[in-house]
Amino acid sequence: MSAAIPEYRPPLFSAQRVWTLATSTFTQLVRMKTFYFLAVFAVLVIAASNLNLLYTPVQQLKVIRETSLGAMSIFSWLFAISATAVLIPRDLEDRTLYTILSKPVPRLEYLVGKLLGVLLVIGVALALMYAFFSLILFFQEYSIISSEMSRMSQNPRYSLEDRATEAALISAYGPDLNLLYGVLAVFLKSAVLATVAMLISTFASSSLFTIIITTVIFLIGHFHKMAADFWVAEQQGALITRILGKVLVLVIPDFQIFNISDSISGGQSVAFLVIAQMSALALMYVIIFTIASWFLFSDKEF
Amino acid sequence: MSSPAVEVDNLTKIFRLSLRRDYLVAVQNLSFTVGEGEIYGLIGPNGSGKSTTMKVILGLMKPTRGTTSIFGLDSRDVRSRHRVGFLPENPYFYKHLSGRETLYFYGKLCGLKKRDLKARSAELLALVDLEDAADRRLSGYSKGMLQRIGLAQAIIQRPQLVILDEPTAGVDPSGSRKIRDLILKLKEDRVAVILCSHLLEQVQEVCDRVAIMQEGKMLKEGALDELIAVEDEVELVMKNLPPGLQSQIENLVRDDPDAQLVRSGHPRTTLERLFLSETEKGQQGEGKAS
Repeated sequence: MSAAIPEYRPPLFSAQRVWTLATSTFTQLVRMKTFYFLAVFAVLVIAASNLNLLYTPVQQLKVIRETSLGAMSIFSWLFAISATAVLIPRDLEDRTLYTILSKPVPRLEYLVGKLLGVLLVIGVALALMYAFFSLILFFQEYSIISSEMSRMSQNPRYSLEDRATEAALISAYGPDLNLLYGVLAVFLKSAVLATVAMLISTFASSSLFTIIITTVIFLIGHFHKMAADFWVAEQQGALITRILGKVLVLVIPDFQIFNISDSISGGQSVAFLVIAQMSALALMYVIIFTIASWFLFSDKEF
Repeated sequence: MSSPAVEVDNLTKIFRLSLRRDYLVAVQNLSFTVGEGEIYGLIGPNGSGKSTTMKVILGLMKPTRGTTSIFGLDSRDVRSRHRVGFLPENPYFYKHLSGRETLYFYGKLCGLKKRDLKARSAELLALVDLEDAADRRLSGYSKGMLQRIGLAQAIIQRPQLVILDEPTAGVDPSGSRKIRDLILKLKEDRVAVILCSHLLEQVQEVCDRVAIMQEGKMLKEGALDELIAVEDEVELVMKNLPPGLQSQIENLVRDDPDAQLVRSGHPRTTLERLFLSETEKGQQGEGKAS
């Protein structure tokens, strides 16, 4: 009679395994020289801060904010789509997926780990870009205020009050909490986009298909309100077209709600409540799309 | 009494081809059992259903009919995988990781704690003879080294069952010999092994029982010694035979009306043994010269 093997009861969901998969994905993406983009970003921000066009001081700071937030957005969207689209197919092609799923790893943990790895890369890259861009903005703001104050102090037309008003006006375009909100909005948008890409990649036949479909959903998502008005209100046409339109509006996330960077570049303030609502909505999208991905992936055969 | 390492009961796997009503029966009514500490060979031509059977056992595919279980747990239950190690054919692990990092990665997935993981990884790197390459990235590993690190990851959590799909494919004879020795070491440790290989000589060397599959069906299954024994022949291998004794024996056989001498002569070694002994001699010669 052979010795009985002790019963092993692994946890239903292990945060340690998810973290192992996430950090491995992070390392994989970092070693793929992903962070080279940061050098391009640095060059862009320095170039924008040294543009010697006939800008007013405020315009000069605005250009830095717009360029930086724009570059951060583009990096995050591109990365969220392309990195997520290739991760699962590559694991399958290299048969790494076999060795992972033949360990006691539930498929939900695999998906969450991979997604978390992509989000970690985006998060770290955005944090580094934000730090660099805030530093440049801080020095530019300081330098512009100093030169403006010096120029105004030489002109008797400007009172002390005028100088204080001008300094406050320039400071509104310097580094502030709103800028952090703008970066957070970029991150949340990328998180939703990465989850959409993950959902598509669980049934797509190729990475290219995933990239194209995710990009189309991303574009439609920017016209969500217009599409909703058009499709949901549509009473004419075949029933199937009307139903399809309504389903699409429900399924496709509204990416327009994350577009607050234009207002922030323009020096406007964003209420905390708006950010909280945006975060809650992004979390809801991420959870729904992850559950849908799991539903499709759990039945997949390799 | 404990459950067998693997129990495949009436397994059938049917694939639907495209959207048309075309079907492929990959495995048909397959049943077998692998006991604890047993080395079980699964052999058959390409497309005979070996890999599909292994994937169903590992929960990577679902059976169309029938069941597969590991130590009594259904293969679809993720808990069953805690006791299994798997080395796929031509494995490509994460190339951005080093050998040691690869073992850490798979060990953590199996829930090993940091302290145990460090000791276990060092032990396995020594076992598969990769201590010198432990901190090199896998992108710089040869085929044989990849197979050996693959075998190490398969047994990182000390599983009681190891499934090996063509573990020596593309590996040179000495690398192949090392892997064979590792399989025999697993047997010593009472680990059950399912070995799927086209190298029949190797299967013959290590397996206790063998199943021959073709077109998804089991053609023959049983203990290796029983399967390959030629019932109506007897083999005598003698050493330092005095002159004349051989002809006396042959005459005795010829005098018997029923017996027949099939062949006589010097037994031959295998090409593998010759290759290994010659290369070992060559290495020893180089060692002395240096």
